[in-house]
Amino acid sequence: MADNHEAHSHPPYGFIFVLLCGFTALSWIADESKDLMPSDAALAVVVLAIAVMKATCVLLYFMHLKFERAWKYILLAPTTILAIGLPLALLPDIGVHYYDIDVPQSPIDPHAFDGSDIGSGHSTQDH
Amino acid sequence: MGINIPNSKLCMWLFLGTEIMFFTAFIGSYLVLRMGSPGWPSDPKDTHILVLAGGINTFVLILSSYFVVVAHEAMTEANYRKAWNFLAGTLALSFVFLGIKAVEYYGKFDHDIVPGHIAENDTQALQKLERELIASREGFLTDLVPLRQVSSEQRVGWVGNLDSFSTAIAAESDESKKTEMQAAYESLQSRTDDIAAFQTFSTAVTTYRDSLRKGEIELHAHSEASSEDGEADGHAYGEQVQTVLAAARADKVSAFSGGLHDPHPMVYGNVFASCYFIMTGFHAIHVLVGMLLFGIVLLQGSRLDGQWVDFVENSGLYWHFVDLVWIFLFPLIYIVQF
Repeated sequence: MADNHEAHSHPPYGFIFVLLCGFTALSWIADESKDLMPSDAALAVVVLAIAVMKATCVLLYFMHLKFERAWKYILLAPTTILAIGLPLALLPDIGVHYYDIDVPQSPIDPHAFDGSDIGSGHSTQDH
Repeated sequence: MGINIPNSKLCMWLFLGTEIMFFTAFIGSYLVLRMGSPGWPSDPKDTHILVLAGGINTFVLILSSYFVVVAHEAMTEANYRKAWNFLAGTLALSFVFLGIKAVEYYGKFDHDIVPGHIAENDTQALQKLERELIASREGFLTDLVPLRQVSSEQRVGWVGNLDSFSTAIAAESDESKKTEMQAAYESLQSRTDDIAAFQTFSTAVTTYRDSLRKGEIELHAHSEASSEDGEADGHAYGEQVQTVLAAARADKVSAFSGGLHDPHPMVYGNVFASCYFIMTGFHAIHVLVGMLLFGIVLLQGSRLDGQWVDFVENSGLYWHFVDLVWIFLFPLIYIVQF
């Protein structure tokens, strides 16, 4: 029933919590400072890196993975591979364009609008 | 022999593995769609995404995760009272999270940022405005003549000519219908101001509709000036759009124009709305499930004992995963712009 809880020292949960709050604050600061960023991509890299740091803290300490044994790799490896593979598989067809793209929503001919009059459901009559 | 963890914990981790795939499908698709859609709406004035709300929700979930982990530690130390208190705190924070989410969703619905409702070019915006104007006019008409079984055309005719209404009442054979019509007629006789306001508005809507069908309306004026009904960034609406918007917001008419939205096309707006609601909606559903798990533990009250250690641990794992998903949703939805 008991896991190997006594085999490691008490994880610093309070410190991890403060760290997570600090990372969240950093994300907020990055957003507020986005005008100072060299590009939108740079902002994306910064905030996603912060997100990865937060996720690592949650996974390793709150979810206890740092203290679990090798089964965690067996369990999570297939998931991780597929999780990375799915966006990569979709990227060439949807995420990247090899042709000149126009906005796909084409203007609708206003004269083609059949416009039932004031919700009556009957055909239009002039007033 | 075997993995030295309880079966329930192994099952929870297997389940979380599937949940990772579940959210990867949505987040991965969102990333791919966004990268492939130049001009994806990212201006908060368009998307009404509040970074502050997302930031507060991030803090709320992190704090709740901390509470869960403290609760589990307390369970292992047989301090069940402390565990119960911290789980109650977690449940309270989850209500805060959903409350903030509800406020955000209300804002979206209020601005009609709903999949399938967003105009993506000028023509669609003008046509959407036409539908909303017609709906407003119908609402005003129904307020004046609350006889829904009668066609709108006929009711408009009666409002414009009370004598014709009187004639129709006299010719009506159905007594119950006749009583209703008589009541509506008598009400109209004391609402001459409202009738005048309706007819002015109705004329404006008809003029707008006819001009739209002739292709004579432009959504935006080409001058730099903005006006009261113009958009704040200097791209003022065309004159006819401004006229009909002013008519819709006039005294006595504005009460029926609640469903009217500023005609503002948003390229890829519908895909954006779909992605937003599917990611945050499924996340909120997962929060609800987590609340259910904590509720089951909290219901034990003073009966909470060592038999619940594994349940609390597994519920905690589930909750941390919910937090993990939000850790990625927050920057992707609220902060990243490209």
